[in-house]
Amino acid sequence: MRVLEIKRLYTSVNIWGVLSWVFVLLILLPNANILVNVFSEPNENWDHIKEYLLRQYISNTVLVTSLSGLFAAVIGTSLAWVVSVYDFPLRGFLKWGLVLPLAIPPYIAAYTYNGMLNYTGVLQTFLRNSLNIYIDQRYVDIMSLQGAVFIFTLFLYPYVYTITKAFLEKQSSSLIENARVLGRSPLEVFLFVILPVSRAAIVGGTTLVMLEVLNDYGVVKYFGITTFSTAIFQTWFGMGDVDSAIKLAAMLMLLVFAITMSERALRGRRRFSYTTTKARPISRIRLKGLGAVLASGYTFMIFSLGFLIPTLQLIHWALQTYRRVLGLKFLELTLNSLLMALGSAALIVCMAVVIANYSRISETVIARTNARVTIVGYSIPGAVIAIGVIVVFVALDNHLYWLYRLIDPDTPKLVLTTSLVMLMFAYTIRFIAIAVNSVESGFEKVGKKFFEASRTLGMNVTRTFFKVDLRMIQPALLSGFLLVFVDIMKELPLTLILRPFNFDTLATKSFQYAHDEMIHEAAISSLIIILVSFASIYFFHRVADKEER
Amino acid sequence: MYVEIRGLTFRYKNAAEDTIQDFTLDIRKGEIIGILGESGSGKTTILRLIAGLEIPSRGSVRIDGRTMVDGNTFLPPERRGIGMVFQDYALFPHMTVEANIKFGLHRMDGARRNERLEEVLRLVNLAEYKRRYPHELSGGQQQRVALARALAPEPSLLLLDEPFSNLDRDLQQRIRDELKVILKGAGITSIFVTHDRDDSRALADRVVILRGGRMVEIGDPAEVLR
Repeated sequence: MRVLEIKRLYTSVNIWGVLSWVFVLLILLPNANILVNVFSEPNENWDHIKEYLLRQYISNTVLVTSLSGLFAAVIGTSLAWVVSVYDFPLRGFLKWGLVLPLAIPPYIAAYTYNGMLNYTGVLQTFLRNSLNIYIDQRYVDIMSLQGAVFIFTLFLYPYVYTITKAFLEKQSSSLIENARVLGRSPLEVFLFVILPVSRAAIVGGTTLVMLEVLNDYGVVKYFGITTFSTAIFQTWFGMGDVDSAIKLAAMLMLLVFAITMSERALRGRRRFSYTTTKARPISRIRLKGLGAVLASGYTFMIFSLGFLIPTLQLIHWALQTYRRVLGLKFLELTLNSLLMALGSAALIVCMAVVIANYSRISETVIARTNARVTIVGYSIPGAVIAIGVIVVFVALDNHLYWLYRLIDPDTPKLVLTTSLVMLMFAYTIRFIAIAVNSVESGFEKVGKKFFEASRTLGMNVTRTFFKVDLRMIQPALLSGFLLVFVDIMKELPLTLILRPFNFDTLATKSFQYAHDEMIHEAAISSLIIILVSFASIYFFHRVADKEER
Repeated sequence: MYVEIRGLTFRYKNAAEDTIQDFTLDIRKGEIIGILGESGSGKTTILRLIAGLEIPSRGSVRIDGRTMVDGNTFLPPERRGIGMVFQDYALFPHMTVEANIKFGLHRMDGARRNERLEEVLRLVNLAEYKRRYPHELSGGQQQRVALARALAPEPSLLLLDEPFSNLDRDLQQRIRDELKVILKGAGITSIFVTHDRDDSRALADRVVILRGGRMVEIGDPAEVLR
């Protein structure tokens, strides 16, 4: 029955479908544009880059990314293991305190640590003045590749920690208990049972860490390490060579694809989704004596290095500088940050709702693919998105120039390119996956029965959406909005590169202060960003945890 | 015939064979049909096909001379005028009983809507519960609200998906008798699906036995369920 097939197609192509398609194509366009350029004709500059620079870009990028991934995996997994299996003093607090390093964006951590460790920093000053100890600067120089790895590891390991911990707590109690009953020691259980079964979770978390490292621009730029991220802009702004910059961006994109592909391979056949069986919590082993000291000591040390110490240092600097920093100008950039994040998050959540709802009601492979495609943006580094977006917007401005002149004869040629629209568009590409995920999980929880009930009561898809669906997925919308909002507040590379002239946010201002050797002045804006992230982590980990119980 | 279902065939995506094969059934006005089958036999799918929640690969459904689906036509669920009571009722949790029932009455004017609300509430004996939210009702009450909601728009056909499966045994019997009185009182043509022979015996005018997506027997409950 061909007619029915056509009907089926017709029912899936409605306003939701059309909008969803438009959004997804918009997201793909700049990225596809970059990827196509891998094969374009190289210019002279490219030969120079290839001969003298490319090797260093590749080796630095691969080294920083893989080492950070490796160490984050080790620390994240070990913490998850200790916290889920053992009971020790402070465990209740540290269990979620260990997520907190995620509240500090790595670029803020980078200049905070540099400020603490350099010659005039608190550590060396104390050693010099109080103990008369002079340290060889080589040992405390954090502005190096090792330093970058240190920062990324310490502030990104929570990705591995949270995913692995969730897995261990929900999945493994019977396995662990079985292994114990069979007479294996805790270490053996860890090595031969826990590690293999939680492989997918660990690999998943580590992949996120590596993607974050590749996305970073702030840390490597501040530390002066040439990776792909910094090289792209150096080539573009320094050499004025957009074509070569795009080529570098395309290579970086291939690296990202390689990482996500290898994640699939490394995960094995096991996916880390939870089965439907009711999970039983692990009965934890109570540690005493040395064991308790070691467990508390290890977890508390990581918590201190990753959150407590840098935050205290920032508070100290903030107290020193608030008179100089706070003012109308500061208020303006706080408002900039808030309005930009609020506006973009609202826009992104609306778009995500359209995409997720279309995927849900149409149930065709194409619609599902639409929702999955949004992931692309989240894994692509800011530097690549930035250059892709600019290229598209410049082309768009060129095409629309006649229209601008119609409205205002003296118009400059670049209108959209110098506006906030471009930045919002870039945010959308980068963060829509988070919102789509939230909305989809909301829809999943609610199921389709209310939707269907409403349809049999005479409401069409759109009216059903506004009268029923929207009300029922409100919590998911709120959490999606919050996650995107916080991410935009923290975001640096896109904002730094795509913002209009003289438009500053808390993130760009902190980075600029630090870059201009005014680390202390960067403290207040950094602390506001940390506070916002902290609130969101508190909400999602602590409150959600309690509700689950 | 009031309801004419001809050669209805359906296959779920990725399924190896048809879930429903060549299902044909005629129903007289006011008749109550019970579809009896084990889980996985496709009985809920038949209701979903009639309601328009799934699109058949072949076959047609006509009600009172109006084509719901055939080779050329497909009416979406909201335009079929068919009522459905879902297995777990699907009462909108953010709406009161009143709002739930009025939800399907959006095409009526205000006065008529209120009148109809009172009518169906009296019918299911829940007049004093209209300000309550679904979670403030017992299972049996929820089921009656779902029934009232489905009946309110005066559907041409009422579909009930395992109407008693969420009720405990004692309640099941009472509600079953109640339901028969309500349905017969309203004179509404209905199809219900169940896996319980007692349900079919007590409620149905005719019973269809479904196995593996095929109708294997149809007739008077007293004969079919010997």
